[in-house]
Amino acid sequence: MSSPEETKPTPLVRLTELPVGASGRVQELEGKTEVCQRLREMGFCESAVVEKVSGAHTLLCQVCGTRIALSDRAAQHILVEQIRRSA
Amino acid sequence: MSADTRSPASPRTPVYAFVGNPNCGKSTLFNALTGLKQKVGNYPGVTVEKKIGETYSQHGHPIKIIDLPGAYSLAARSPDEAVLRDVLLGRRADTPQPDRIVCILDASNLERNLYLVHQILDLGRPVILALNMMDLAAKSGLEIRVARLEKELGIPIIPCEAANGKGIVELRLAMSRSDLPLAKHAWEIPAPIAPAVSELAASLQENDGKAPFSARAEALLLLTDQDTVRVTGSKPLHPRTSAIFHNWQKRWAGEGTDWAGSLVSSRYDAITELCSRIVVRKANVGPSVSDRIDQVVTHPVWGWTSLAGIMALLFLSIFTLAELPMNFIDGRMAALADWVKSVMQAGDFRDLITDSAIAGVGGVLVFLPQILILFFFMGLLESTGYMARAAFIMDRMMSRVGLNGRSFIPLLSSYACAIPGIMATRTIEDQKDRLTTILVAPLMSCSARLPVYLLMMAALVPGERVPLLTKVSIMLLMYSLGTLGAFGFAWLFKRTLLKGEPPLMIMELPPYRLPRVRDIAFHMIERAWMFLKNAGTVILALSIVLWFLAAYPKAHDGATTTQQLEQSFAGKAGHTLEPVIKPLGFDWQIGIGLISSLAAREVFVSTMGIVFNAEGSDENTAPLRESMLKAKWPDGRPLFTPLVCLTLMIFYVFAMQCMSTLVVVKRETNSWRWPLFQIAYMTGTAWVVCFIVYQTGHALGF
Repeated sequence: MSSPEETKPTPLVRLTELPVGASGRVQELEGKTEVCQRLREMGFCESAVVEKVSGAHTLLCQVCGTRIALSDRAAQHILVEQIRRSA
Repeated sequence: MSADTRSPASPRTPVYAFVGNPNCGKSTLFNALTGLKQKVGNYPGVTVEKKIGETYSQHGHPIKIIDLPGAYSLAARSPDEAVLRDVLLGRRADTPQPDRIVCILDASNLERNLYLVHQILDLGRPVILALNMMDLAAKSGLEIRVARLEKELGIPIIPCEAANGKGIVELRLAMSRSDLPLAKHAWEIPAPIAPAVSELAASLQENDGKAPFSARAEALLLLTDQDTVRVTGSKPLHPRTSAIFHNWQKRWAGEGTDWAGSLVSSRYDAITELCSRIVVRKANVGPSVSDRIDQVVTHPVWGWTSLAGIMALLFLSIFTLAELPMNFIDGRMAALADWVKSVMQAGDFRDLITDSAIAGVGGVLVFLPQILILFFFMGLLESTGYMARAAFIMDRMMSRVGLNGRSFIPLLSSYACAIPGIMATRTIEDQKDRLTTILVAPLMSCSARLPVYLLMMAALVPGERVPLLTKVSIMLLMYSLGTLGAFGFAWLFKRTLLKGEPPLMIMELPPYRLPRVRDIAFHMIERAWMFLKNAGTVILALSIVLWFLAAYPKAHDGATTTQQLEQSFAGKAGHTLEPVIKPLGFDWQIGIGLISSLAAREVFVSTMGIVFNAEGSDENTAPLRESMLKAKWPDGRPLFTPLVCLTLMIFYVFAMQCMSTLVVVKRETNSWRWPLFQIAYMTGTAWVVCFIVYQTGHALGF
């Protein structure tokens, strides 16, 4: 983690808003229980690190060592804290 | 020690269940162990494939293996996952509860794979873990401390590479052990829900007769399982248990406790902790081969280009490579019919065999090469991992009509034949999406429409040969009409009839692999056999009925075939139908073709052959074309004007003219409601569109 946490907590962004190539740590899942559970089971659980590989409409992410495609409606449920800028 | 004392099967053959995430190489391992000793069927009431195989222990004793559908979690969302859950919990009366479980894991992705394992260890059954794809894990810079994991969990862990045949012997050896240890599996159930778990478990033990261990597992499952998928054939819960469950649900809803969420996260916490001890991540190895391929294949521009290229190749090979074997089958069937004609006495029975049984079944057999080629390609794309990429690329387009990327594959298969396409919808989680896909799949122009299109084109264009450009553009027009229809109706259904949540797609893109020809071959044979069984029996029965309708009642002696046909039930039906189809420019003779091709579209060609009494085979459309062009309305107008030919093609684009598909839809949806609806809306649309086209064309003077 690069930014000093105690001084200024990094704002949470939706996974859809994370720039392509950047990584984020999942902080919160919001929305319907079923969707959240599905997301968690696929690896998007709290504190998991997600790298957004590509995508505008359908996202391509690297999480838990797997590549996962998810539609933006699903990605909106995921709130992340950006931890790495795009390379 | 095996804790359970029940005896499901009378001769004590141990039953193993193979369980794992999708894409973990489960089927490869299953095939490696069982070889050809497999039985593929269906779980009664649901359309999930039931695969049971047999292998031998190191001492030569038989072992039964149930290959369960791949899933990420025991909390079921699709029928596939529900079957997995219900078989493991012994909820299905039609399948013995497995004695032991082999969990197959993708070693390169241990964290996610261990989630399902974690749930399965709750079941308190002997478990063997097979760590598959060890080579891939090593390649991506992961070192897995197998011995450490074995010690932590206390169960046998077998590292293997199923694709390279490594670890199979060791796995068989582990499966041969007469006693298997139970896992040291303790994890903290989050405090707010712990009392609920124990209360539910107690009731499950008392009222539903569950063993202590599996009662706890079931209780945990109840809490995360939204129970959206209730599968027929599974035993329902005892009313007391469900009452307790609903009480807790209400209480948590009042308090605002996210019970499902906290359960899932506490499992992941335990897994993350475990992984930190057993997985050593070496320095970054840079982008893998998969990553590099993905950069091209999922690229906004190159992705589309490569998808288009692959699809073009697919169709090209379906239509060109299949021609030779198709002609061969056609020739064999004709030879068989001739042989029967030569050895049997002339009469109705002989005609029944040659004209209905052989011709009808032959008509289906002819499509087998195309279907095999289609399945070969599908298997190739599936086993290399490209299929998921195609779904990813198509997701955007599909979401415009309210479906998600997963519906793309079934629709693509339907270009060859709607039956495999509809069978491929099983992986679609959302029931409404699945139903929508099933409903529109037959609109994609399948290969059975080709003979009709070809015949109509021959009649449409003056001259002996159809110029290639005309042929291609008319074909393209028909294919795009069907495709547009399918997407249009999907859009309509998702907004009206099957209104549901906007589509959500969460799909794993497995790493690319070299295809396993053996697995693909297995798959092809399996599917081909299913197709033959399904379509063959229905077509056989229907061909006999149709033949009867065309052959009876008998006309006077010495009547020509055409007169006989006019006399018959089919002819009368054609006449009855004429008022309805006259506005489309069709007469009673075409009507007979429409009726008889209800069984299968390609039957239209052979019926036209009978109606217009052309000598020669179906393949050679030239003489038929000439006699069709001579056909006239009673007032002397020619029947097959170019406009009528075009209208007829359009009719076949939309109309639901395939019994086999209807039967498959009935089986997949478990009711006659949907197939009937399909006939109504598709044939209704066909009529309306043809009416517009014909009447407009007629008014314009064509």
